[in-house]
Amino acid sequence: MSRKSERLINLTIALLATKRFITKSEILKTVEGYEGSSESKDRMFERDKDDLRSLGIEIEVGTFDPLFNDEAGYRIKQERYQLDLGDVTPLEISLLSLAAQAWQGASLDDAAQRALVKLSSLGIAIDEANLPHSVPFLSDEGLDIPKITRAIAEHQILEFTYRNYDLSLESRRVVPIGLSARSGYWYLAGVDQSIEQVRTFRLDRVIGTFTVKKGPKKFETPENLDLENLFERVKNINAVIDVRRGKGTSLRALATSMKSIGEWDQVEIPIIDIKSLSALILWHGDDVYVHSPMELRQIIISSLKEISVTHG
Amino acid sequence: MVKNIPKSAATPLERTSRLLDLVPYISTHQGISLVDLAKVFEVSTNQMINDLTTLWMCGLPGYTPLELMDLDFESGFVTIRNATTLARPRSITHEEGVALVLGLDVLRSGISAERTDLIEAITSLSERIARLVNLPLALSASSDINLEVTTLVKEAISHRSGLQISYHSLYKDEISERAVLPLEMLESQGYSYLHAYCFTALDFRHFRIDRIKSAKSANVEKPSTTPPISPEKIVFAVKVVRPTRDVAERFQEPNLEAGTVFKSSSFSQHWISRSVLASGGAIELLTPAEIRSELAKNATMLLSRYEE
Repeated sequence: MSRKSERLINLTIALLATKRFITKSEILKTVEGYEGSSESKDRMFERDKDDLRSLGIEIEVGTFDPLFNDEAGYRIKQERYQLDLGDVTPLEISLLSLAAQAWQGASLDDAAQRALVKLSSLGIAIDEANLPHSVPFLSDEGLDIPKITRAIAEHQILEFTYRNYDLSLESRRVVPIGLSARSGYWYLAGVDQSIEQVRTFRLDRVIGTFTVKKGPKKFETPENLDLENLFERVKNINAVIDVRRGKGTSLRALATSMKSIGEWDQVEIPIIDIKSLSALILWHGDDVYVHSPMELRQIIISSLKEISVTHG
Repeated sequence: MVKNIPKSAATPLERTSRLLDLVPYISTHQGISLVDLAKVFEVSTNQMINDLTTLWMCGLPGYTPLELMDLDFESGFVTIRNATTLARPRSITHEEGVALVLGLDVLRSGISAERTDLIEAITSLSERIARLVNLPLALSASSDINLEVTTLVKEAISHRSGLQISYHSLYKDEISERAVLPLEMLESQGYSYLHAYCFTALDFRHFRIDRIKSAKSANVEKPSTTPPISPEKIVFAVKVVRPTRDVAERFQEPNLEAGTVFKSSSFSQHWISRSVLASGGAIELLTPAEIRSELAKNATMLLSRYEE
C-alpha cells in the first residue's frame, strides 16, 4: 500500500508548492502515481482529496479567473497547513510536554503524543529547570471526548439518556457549551433544548452513548454566561454553617469564608446543589450546625425527623 | 521487546500522516539515529526504513533528483535536504488540541498560585491552542491533587524512603499524622492512590493522594513482620424508603425501588452510620441493631439542637 501513501505525499507537496490554483487535469498529468483509465484516475483523485481532508489538511477550491467559467483549481495554503502558535518559548514547550503526560493511559494519550511530535519538530530546546516533576492525570473511563468537543465547536445537538435524582430515566437534547473535569468526574454544560436553559450533567449519569444531531439554525451562547465560571460556585446564596474545630474537612474545602467562634468555626458555603450539600451536612452528624438559609435548615430538620422516626 | 509493538499494520492514511510529520521532525533533528527516530514515531526500525524509502521517492512534479527530497539514512543516521515544502510541522488536529488544552488546565490546577510565571505561560498557551481548534474557553479540568505531595511521594518510592503524611480520613473525619513507607502509586476510578506500609496501622494501606494534606520525608524503620489484626467487615442490611440517585451511587446499587432490601458490608462503622444519615431518610438501616439504635438516638439528639 506504499503507492497510496506516496501519491498522497506527492499530491500534498504539489498543492502546497503552487501559488496559483492548479486544475485536476494538471494534477493528473503531472503528479506521480495517477494511473489507469481517465475515470479511474478521476475517482482516485476524488478519494485522495477526501483522505487529505480527513487528515485535517484544508484544500482550497477556486478558479483562475472568476470572469470565465474555468475548470476548478486546487491548492493548500502553507499558512493553513503549518502549525502557527506564534513564538513558542522553551518553557512553553516543556509545559506542553507535561500537559501531554496528563493523558497517560487515557483515551487522548495517542493524540497528545502526536501533538508533542509536531511541537518538538519546531526545534525548540526544552527548559526543564524549575518545573513540577509530575502532573495530575486525567481519566476518562471510555468517554468519547472528541465527539463532545466537536459538538461544542459546531453547536451540534447531543442526545442522551440521563438518570435523574429520583432514578427515573429521561432523554435529553442539549446544545453543549462546555466540558469540565473536576473532583474525579466529567461534567457537561449545555442548553437543554426542551427548556431552553443552561443545565449541567455529570457524565457518569448518562446511560449509553451520545447521539449527535444537527444543531439549531441560529444558536447563540446564552447572554451573560460566564463560560470560565460555568462549573464554579458563583452567584449563589451562601449557607452559614458552624463546624466543630478540627472537624468537617470536606465542608471546609467548600467554604468561601471562615471565622473562629470558640470551639466552633463559622463558615460560609455557596449552595450549588442544595441536595448534595444537605447530604454532606447530614454525613457530618453533630459536628455541624446550620444557621441559614431557612430552606436548608428545613431539609436538615425534616430529614432528621424521618431518620429518627424510621429507626426509633 | 514486548513494548513498542510496531504499528506497521496501520492504514495507508495513518502512514501518510506519519510520513508528513517525519519530514519536519528530521529537519530539526538532523543526524538522529534510525533507532531513536523509530522510537519517537512508535514503529519498528524496519517500518521506519520503509517509510524513509517511500519519502525518498517523493517530491515536486518532474521528480528529477532536483525536485525529490534528499534523504540519507544508510549510515544508520538520518539527514534530510531539499524538503522545504513540508519542512514546517503540520497544524494540530481538533483532537490533539483538545488533549493539550485539557492537559494544560489540569496541570495549572496542580501548580501553586505563587508560580505566576508558569500560570501565565499556561494561560497564554491554552488560549492560543483553543483558538486553533475553535474552542474558546469551553474546556476546563482541575484536580484536587497537590503536586508537591505527588512529587514527594514519587521521590520516596524511588528512594525507598519514608514519609510523614497528614491524612484526612473521610469516614472518621479526622486528620491524622502517619509515618508510611510508600510502595507504589495506583489509579482507580478516576482517583490516584498511594499503596504504602503504614506504621500507625502496622499494615499495608491505600491512601487517596488528594486526601494527603501535606507530606515531608521522614526516617522509618523496616515494616513490622507481626501479622496485623485484620479488621472484620460489618455486614449491614438496608431497606429503601424512597429510591434516589444519591443512594444508588453511594451504595453502588443501580436497581432500587421503594421496599427493596439489600445487604452490603463495610470495614467502617462510621461509614455505615454516616451514609444512612446522609441519605436523609431515603433508606432505613435494618441491621446491625446497635448501629440502628445509635442512629435513632443520634438523630433525635441532633434534632433537639434545632428545636431549642
